Amino acid sequence: MPCPTTCAGSRTRRGRREIAALAGAFLVATAAIAQTTGGPKLLPAEDAFRLSARALDASTIEVRYNVADGYYLYRDKLRFKVEPAPVAAGTAALPPGKPHRDEFFGEVAIYRGLVVAKLPVTGAKAGQAVSLVADSQGCADAGVCYPPQTQRVELRLPASGAGPSVAVEAMPAKKDYFK
Amino acid sequence: MTVRAPTLAAIAVVSALALAAGLWFGQVDKPADAPATPLLGITLPDPDGKDQAIAQWKGKVLIVNFWATWCAPCREEMPMFMRLQAEQGAKGVQFVGIAVDNADKVRDYAADLKLNYPTLIGGFGAMELSKTLGNAIMALPFTVIIDRAGKVAHTQLGPLKEEQLRSILGQLA
Repeated sequence: MPCPTTCAGSRTRRGRREIAALAGAFLVATAAIAQTTGGPKLLPAEDAFRLSARALDASTIEVRYNVADGYYLYRDKLRFKVEPAPVAAGTAALPPGKPHRDEFFGEVAIYRGLVVAKLPVTGAKAGQAVSLVADSQGCADAGVCYPPQTQRVELRLPASGAGPSVAVEAMPAKKDYFK
Repeated sequence: MTVRAPTLAAIAVVSALALAAGLWFGQVDKPADAPATPLLGITLPDPDGKDQAIAQWKGKVLIVNFWATWCAPCREEMPMFMRLQAEQGAKGVQFVGIAVDNADKVRDYAADLKLNYPTLIGGFGAMELSKTLGNAIMALPFTVIIDRAGKVAHTQLGPLKEEQLRSILGQLA
């Protein structure tokens, strides 16, 4: 240190210079920010609509969406597939959802909070590894909508006589814009 | 005045922090003297499949709006865009839509709405492009306002308020 702790006066002057220099540097740095941005802070789709699933038995998958506060999913945009063939998904038993008026889609049902649906699976063997492929689409109350997204969950169906599998989170989402 | 090494170091740290803060909040895509936005270098098809270069509108105050027919908040702000296009088009204000959607739906919707500004069809590439412009979560609507020199003046995720847009256009047009 060029200035020992005893030279208080010099330190104060230097302190002032440093503050001025720092303020100047901050102004220069912030002046470079020529453009402005607007809009709310929002979650990416895979965090706003968290998907997980577990196999209840060799012919039933339980699908769960955990929808973050302030976000919603469209009920009629949910689509489920189970792979690989000849394994296939039946019709999911979806909860009714809440009515929502949409100028373009008309009266639709939406989901908030936790959504749990049972999906029948056909053609699978006990203990088999399968993939759940789930399409969904939703929006945020803050005034944005997310493109349709496809998420995958890799599951192993329980062996015969075994209990339900543990819940598995979706893999990172793959965007699909042309559905 | 001689600037001491610790002061220089502190200046460097604060400058870096300020720049990082700007980047964190999505406000710095590039320094103020950066070249024109890459948006002006792209070409996308219109709903009839004809290629349209964004550069054809260079020199205007350009409002590029990423939208889709499946996005309710997008549709809600479009009548306001149409009003401002009609009102300020003669001053060199130009709205251009980039729809993350399929061409048939866009053509039908534009016809229903009697859309008075062009809209192009963008796919995954356009969504990725919007990400590089500040749309980190890739949601819609997302709007980029470009000044007459071709630089990004404002980006907006979510709807623009008419008063806010008028104020920005008032400064640029």
